[in-house]
Amino acid sequence: MVLVYSMVSFFNPYWMEKVIHPAAYNLFYLLSLGGTLGVFYSKDFLTLFIFWELVVWSSMFIIPLGKSRRATVVYYGISTIGSFAMLYALLLLNVKYGTFEISTVINKLSTDPKMATLFFFLIVMAGLTKLGIFPFYTWLPIAHGNAPHTFSPVLSGGLVKMGGFIAFLITAVLPTSKVFANHLQILNNPYENYILMILGAISIIIGTLMAIKQDDAKKLIAYSTVSNSGYILIGLAMVDQTAFAGGVMHVFNHAMASAAMFLAFAAIAYRTGTTKISELGGLIKRMPVTFTVYLIAIISLAGIPPMSGFASKWLIYQGLLRKGNMFIAFAAFFGSVGSFMYVFRPLAGAFLGQLSPKHKDIKEVPFWMQLPMLIISGLTILYGVYPGLMLKYIAKIQTSLNLPAIGVDGTKILTPNGMWDSWTVTLVFTIGFIIATILYFVLPKAKSVDLMDTYTSAEFIHNPDLYHYSSNYYAPFERLYKNHPSVEKFYDAIALRFKELGLLVKTWFFNENPAFTVFWISIVITAIFMWGDKI
Amino acid sequence: MINPVLLIAIPLLFAFLSVMFKKADKGLLVLAVLFNVLAAFLLKETEVVIGGWKPPFGINLIADQYSIFGLIILNTVFALSVFSSFSSVKKYSTVLLVSLAALNGMMLTGDLFNLFVFLEIASISAYILSTMTKKFKGTFNYIILGALGSNLYLLGIIILYSTVGTLNMADMASKIHLVNNNVLLLALTFIFAGFAVEAKLMPFNGWVKGVYGNANDLSGGIFASAYATAAIMMFGRIFTNIFVLDGTLKTIFLTITVLTFILGEIAAFSQKNIRSTLAFSSVGQAGLIATLFLSGLSGVAMMQVANHALAKLVMFTIAGAMYVYAGTDNIEKLQGLFKKHKLIGFGFSVAALSLVGLPIFYGFYVKIFALSNLFKINSYWIPALILFSSLIEGIYYIRMLAKLWNPGEEGKESKDEYTTKLSLENTFAYAVLAVVVGLFILYISYNPEFITQGISNYLSNIAGGM
Amino acid sequence: MIQYLFIGLILIGIYGLLTQKNLIKLVVALNVLEVGVNLFIISTGYVKDGVAPILFKGVPSTNGTFVDPLPQALVLTAIVIGVGVTALALTVVRKIYEKHGTLNLDEMGSESDD
Repeated sequence: MVLVYSMVSFFNPYWMEKVIHPAAYNLFYLLSLGGTLGVFYSKDFLTLFIFWELVVWSSMFIIPLGKSRRATVVYYGISTIGSFAMLYALLLLNVKYGTFEISTVINKLSTDPKMATLFFFLIVMAGLTKLGIFPFYTWLPIAHGNAPHTFSPVLSGGLVKMGGFIAFLITAVLPTSKVFANHLQILNNPYENYILMILGAISIIIGTLMAIKQDDAKKLIAYSTVSNSGYILIGLAMVDQTAFAGGVMHVFNHAMASAAMFLAFAAIAYRTGTTKISELGGLIKRMPVTFTVYLIAIISLAGIPPMSGFASKWLIYQGLLRKGNMFIAFAAFFGSVGSFMYVFRPLAGAFLGQLSPKHKDIKEVPFWMQLPMLIISGLTILYGVYPGLMLKYIAKIQTSLNLPAIGVDGTKILTPNGMWDSWTVTLVFTIGFIIATILYFVLPKAKSVDLMDTYTSAEFIHNPDLYHYSSNYYAPFERLYKNHPSVEKFYDAIALRFKELGLLVKTWFFNENPAFTVFWISIVITAIFMWGDKI
Repeated sequence: MINPVLLIAIPLLFAFLSVMFKKADKGLLVLAVLFNVLAAFLLKETEVVIGGWKPPFGINLIADQYSIFGLIILNTVFALSVFSSFSSVKKYSTVLLVSLAALNGMMLTGDLFNLFVFLEIASISAYILSTMTKKFKGTFNYIILGALGSNLYLLGIIILYSTVGTLNMADMASKIHLVNNNVLLLALTFIFAGFAVEAKLMPFNGWVKGVYGNANDLSGGIFASAYATAAIMMFGRIFTNIFVLDGTLKTIFLTITVLTFILGEIAAFSQKNIRSTLAFSSVGQAGLIATLFLSGLSGVAMMQVANHALAKLVMFTIAGAMYVYAGTDNIEKLQGLFKKHKLIGFGFSVAALSLVGLPIFYGFYVKIFALSNLFKINSYWIPALILFSSLIEGIYYIRMLAKLWNPGEEGKESKDEYTTKLSLENTFAYAVLAVVVGLFILYISYNPEFITQGISNYLSNIAGGM
Repeated sequence: MIQYLFIGLILIGIYGLLTQKNLIKLVVALNVLEVGVNLFIISTGYVKDGVAPILFKGVPSTNGTFVDPLPQALVLTAIVIGVGVTALALTVVRKIYEKHGTLNLDEMGSESDD
């Protein structure tokens, strides 16, 4: 997390001049950084909550600096639903047990399953809202997509992962598999955990489907975050040897990958001023470093070896298959396949293909913007080749939680179902890459065609963007689920109802005609006489 | 040692003087206001008998920790409001002095009928203050409802008087168990109805929209902070010290107050103008404070009174200034106003965040205390509803702040070119007010004992405190 | 018994507030209500066969059949306040008439802009 923040801060100086309140941006940036750190270090729940909310409102002031004022409201509304649920649970526990300290509370809860269930659902709400799990995912696309370009990676790589921390706290530190052992079991998981897994699976599917549709790269990455949060949640909710390790590892991997993707598009936006895929194209010639970074990030995100994303996803699949969770495993595989489609869209649309005439003479971004992107990519490769480095650390966490630790042996990951040696796989891929490179140089090259070099029957091209092959990229797929039901519409409807209720209250109770209020006074007094029999 | 009578007498005297010496009226106003602030801080616990009749027969003034706490807040916010909006005082200094005297009297008096008199004087000055923006329809509505409310209150106390034969608050509290249940029900209902009109509880508060929603910088600040404080503190005194409710009646009153704060916040959510939003938010907050009082949590309620008075003072003064100088207080038309007036924006934002109760602001302490104490008395629905309404409250305040700080069309980057052409004048006074109160809120956020000291003093004197 | 009459007056006042559209009539209704309340207050102080509570020679102070003087004092105050409120209300009504040109609540437009 700190890594993401510090990496992104390299970007900030270049953006300052474009943001409307530079000083405020810096202030709130640091505040939210401090808050995030505080959340992870806090020893008692109250401190955790205070830092948690600090992050919410400090980032809340940054988001409207970008494109949308509405985004802030949505973000605040949804994350506050979660944090207030958490606050309710915390204070209830404090009154009941007389302490806020995490370890004490958890110890006492372990002996009180009824309370623990309530606590579980209320607190996990905070995690779900931050992670962007269905049905709370709506803030992700609108906030990520509209935040200042440099803040989107922080949102996705940092803030969203705070939700992962809460989910970790509630599923693993509170030993759910033991506390809820007597409850209804679905496929060897207590029903509480199973509900979380189902929600994670739904998020994967929705995130994937929606990401495929997006034309704005930032919204696309935001939906991919929804889908990946689903993976994290599934992994964490399993609380077993393999999938749990995968979930924890995926927290890190996805933070790296999405931060790299957002940074790549921040770099693009810095030069071109847009993040719409259909307006870009052919940027590989102009911005090769950014392209490489993006490529590595998406390989990791889609879970292709030898990047680190593969290791974590593989571990989650292992856990799912071993327990026979077919529906959730299906969702996970679906998300994996879908993720090829959606990460390929920006790759093909923005980097490959013909260069748009508008962006003929752009340059690569300055070195200080390249550096963080390169470091993140380096880490992705490093942990892909040596997943053991991180898994050893995760194994320590698991031991401290009394879970069977994940087995690691050098570059080999050992699971009950088999083992996987990242080193061999990397070797194979490297060889394949070298062969491909040789072929590329040996074989005759294709002719490079300009975007405008096209046959139009002598008609004048009014809007060259429409001729770009990435506009309406996945039209056939989108048609498949065009009229999908949407949670956004549902939330909008709720907000509208509230507004209508408010106007109703205004006309009924706050009319300019005093007779209305006199009427209400008479009614209420009569009602009190009728029912208020005992004092 | 200051005689509490002076808190009422000096403003009243200066009010008469300001009629005689029209040239010096503003000077007299400043003098009286300054004196009252000083006196409120120097006031010690005491009890003064007026006119030589011993209570319970005569009228007495009670300055206990409760009223001193209220007086300090009341006089401070009154003074701040007058000073920051001094250019709007114009010909209203006499009315302001009378209202100051009456509000102090409401806080101090130990007699139910005397409370009625001060309530009426305060209301009459409020009617006059509300004509400042020439929205007479709202004023007329306020007059009708205010007079109806006071008459109901009068009816209630007379019913009690005819049964127990006293009007003194302390005496009444000791004799209340003698009253027949049905009579008490009748009387309490009328008293509640009467006070609910002034304390802005729904559905007794139809005047709020017309008066608060059309206030200017001076009347807005005074209504929302000074009047609201006095009314709600008296509500608290009557329903926690004198009459302790129980049973069905308590449930009914609690339902009314809880509905007030939920519906108030929902109504605020639907508004487009800053002042109407703030007006409904005041309604909601009054409901919240009344709920806390009725639940028996006077300490928390007093903390919230302080929070609300300070926050609304800043916000209403600035919103009123927007109306006076920019001609509108529609959020859409004022986008990016705080970009121009950063210090004012700072105060407004701190006040709003504190009122919503976000961590590291003072409001958060209040929220924590309120919720934990409600849990302690085994109340589980009210905390959930408080959180729900404060969620709605947060949403509309954030929406307001986001637009006021960041101009721009939806879907475009926030840019200076969208900033409103309108601007405020006389910004120095408002900026000073905003910064001072903003910093003070931040100070008490880190040092909440500063406020809670007086409250815990008060609570240690009565049984069943925190 | 006579107290029911005064309660009736109060109810008439409330009825007037509920039904009237004319501002002047509203003020009148308010006054009817106030008169009802004031008469009610006086009636609570009445003691059967009581005399005015004035001590003078010849009337023994021990037989306790004075009427209660306090409600009368209270009513005096209440009347004064009522007159003040009525005067203010009529002033406002006049201002409304100058601004809107009508006294009917339904005929004048709304003041707020949202």
